[in-house]
Amino acid sequence: MIAVGITVALKEILASFGLSGGLLSVVTYAILASATFGLLSVLALFLVWWERKIAGHMQQRFGPMRNGWHGWYQTLVDGLKLLQKEDVRVATRDKVVFFWAPVMCFIAAFAAYIVIPFGDGLIVADLNIGILYIMAITTFTVISLLMAGWGSNNKYALLGGMRSAAQVVSYEVPMVASILVVVLYAGSLSTVDIVNSQAGNFLNWNIFRVPYGPLAFLTYLVAAIAEANRTPFDLAEAEQELVAGFNIEYSGMKFAMFFLAEFINLFTVSAIAVILFFGGWHGFEFIPSFVWFFLKTFAVVFLLIMIRWTYPRMRVDQLMEFAWKFLVPLTFLNIIIAAIFKHFGWYWEL
Amino acid sequence: MLEYIKGFFELVKGLGITGKHLTKHAVTLQYPEEKDVMPERSRGVVVLLSDKEDGSLNCTSCLLCMKACPTAAIIIDAPRGEDKKKVLKKFELDFSLCCYCGLCEEACNFSALKLTGKYEYSTGNKDDLIWDVHKLQDVGRDVDYVDKRKKKVKKVAPKPTVSEATDEIKPTQSADKIETKPVEIKTDKIKTDKIETPQDKDEKPKTEGEA
Ligand code: SF4
Ligand code: SF4
Repeated sequence: MIAVGITVALKEILASFGLSGGLLSVVTYAILASATFGLLSVLALFLVWWERKIAGHMQQRFGPMRNGWHGWYQTLVDGLKLLQKEDVRVATRDKVVFFWAPVMCFIAAFAAYIVIPFGDGLIVADLNIGILYIMAITTFTVISLLMAGWGSNNKYALLGGMRSAAQVVSYEVPMVASILVVVLYAGSLSTVDIVNSQAGNFLNWNIFRVPYGPLAFLTYLVAAIAEANRTPFDLAEAEQELVAGFNIEYSGMKFAMFFLAEFINLFTVSAIAVILFFGGWHGFEFIPSFVWFFLKTFAVVFLLIMIRWTYPRMRVDQLMEFAWKFLVPLTFLNIIIAAIFKHFGWYWEL
Repeated sequence: MLEYIKGFFELVKGLGITGKHLTKHAVTLQYPEEKDVMPERSRGVVVLLSDKEDGSLNCTSCLLCMKACPTAAIIIDAPRGEDKKKVLKKFELDFSLCCYCGLCEEACNFSALKLTGKYEYSTGNKDDLIWDVHKLQDVGRDVDYVDKRKKKVKKVAPKPTVSEATDEIKPTQSADKIETKPVEIKTDKIKTDKIETPQDKDEKPKTEGEA
């Protein structure tokens, strides 16, 4: 294992230029943050296009076709259009809250990437509480949605914000519970340790640890869709009932920030799924580790897109019922099963 | 619990269905580049037909179409010239009035008017929807049609049954043959044939559609 983290390598390079102490750290992380920001912006643009293409073909349409080959720079053009748009602000808004909501949403979406390993050593910081940190930071998204709903001073926006708060509070529980199964086996909260616990044979991946592995993956997936506010759990937006939900009063770049954050969240939950259940960057050696990571993540993203364009939206009460009456007991039961298997050593380590 | 498990498999089935559609080819057309092939007898833009040989208008200014038109979309001005023959001075068709009923085509006895499959004529100016005789003729130049006028000639020709039979099987070929046949008899027999025209009308569009 070439355990040279990109952060360490970068620090060494910068140190050779004579930087040291606090300045060295600041410059290192500034560079890494910009790189991640660039990568994720491109990714988000790509994901929007990809989702539209898949949605189109699933309905036997083409999706975007006009700009470039099969409309590949359509989202770029859309983004430029949003940049030029007038920033409409309602007079009755709560000025501070209204302004900071999209910023917070954006930051929350990006901050999770500090602990996501894109490949072997391609991680900004290997926190020993990695997965817990992700759980904590992604919850900021819901606060930002609530802020957007409150700040807009609009009944639909407020309803959307409240719904998303209720939804995320409910689904946080099964999500943490299904992650706990993995943590139980990895013996660590660090994302790198979790990935390394699945090294070697691909049968070591948590998804193959029957019966609790696949079950944990499914419950995680359901909770993740709810966290990412996507259909069938997109009650916060619910175009047909709430017009556009929390982002109804937003336009121009502020709307674009919400929109991009949504797609970055989509990638985040897929990346976490890969880290937790599909062995992260591990795969056959002859293909670079980050390629494996992206391949697997895109596969999960594809699954999520398929789910989004297949199922209709659930009702609020159904959503709550499903979370508390079914998912929470199931995930708790799953933890107990996993603990029993772990205790008696009924699992393989190839 | 059991229903949840059942439900899960139903969900997977749903994914399978959308996945199947994902692999199918799109049914939509990329409109300005790809155009749908309109059916032969579709009722779109009305055009004036020209003679297949000399390219002159088939219209005899009989005003039948103008009278048949329920929306008064056609306005014809054809005063008699010095030789007592009608001269077509004005033939205007207002597509903002036209309802594409096809009555004008049915009324015309001289294969001078036809509803075609053409449809791209939208404009930002309402006045542009009034087409004059030149535009109507130009748009109709490439339109293929079965000439009613000369078919009547064929009916009085020596072997009517045989020619009619071939007509129905190979409409395009027979149409060519008919044109080569002598034209002189035409004027004599038109009036006698007039009673049979309703039948003709029923037959001819069919063969046209098959072609
Ligand atoms: S199609 Fe009907 S409405 Fe249009 S010009 Fe002919 S008769 Fe008039
Ligand atoms: S009915 Fe036919 S021949 Fe008579 S005026 Fe109309 S287009 Fe011309």
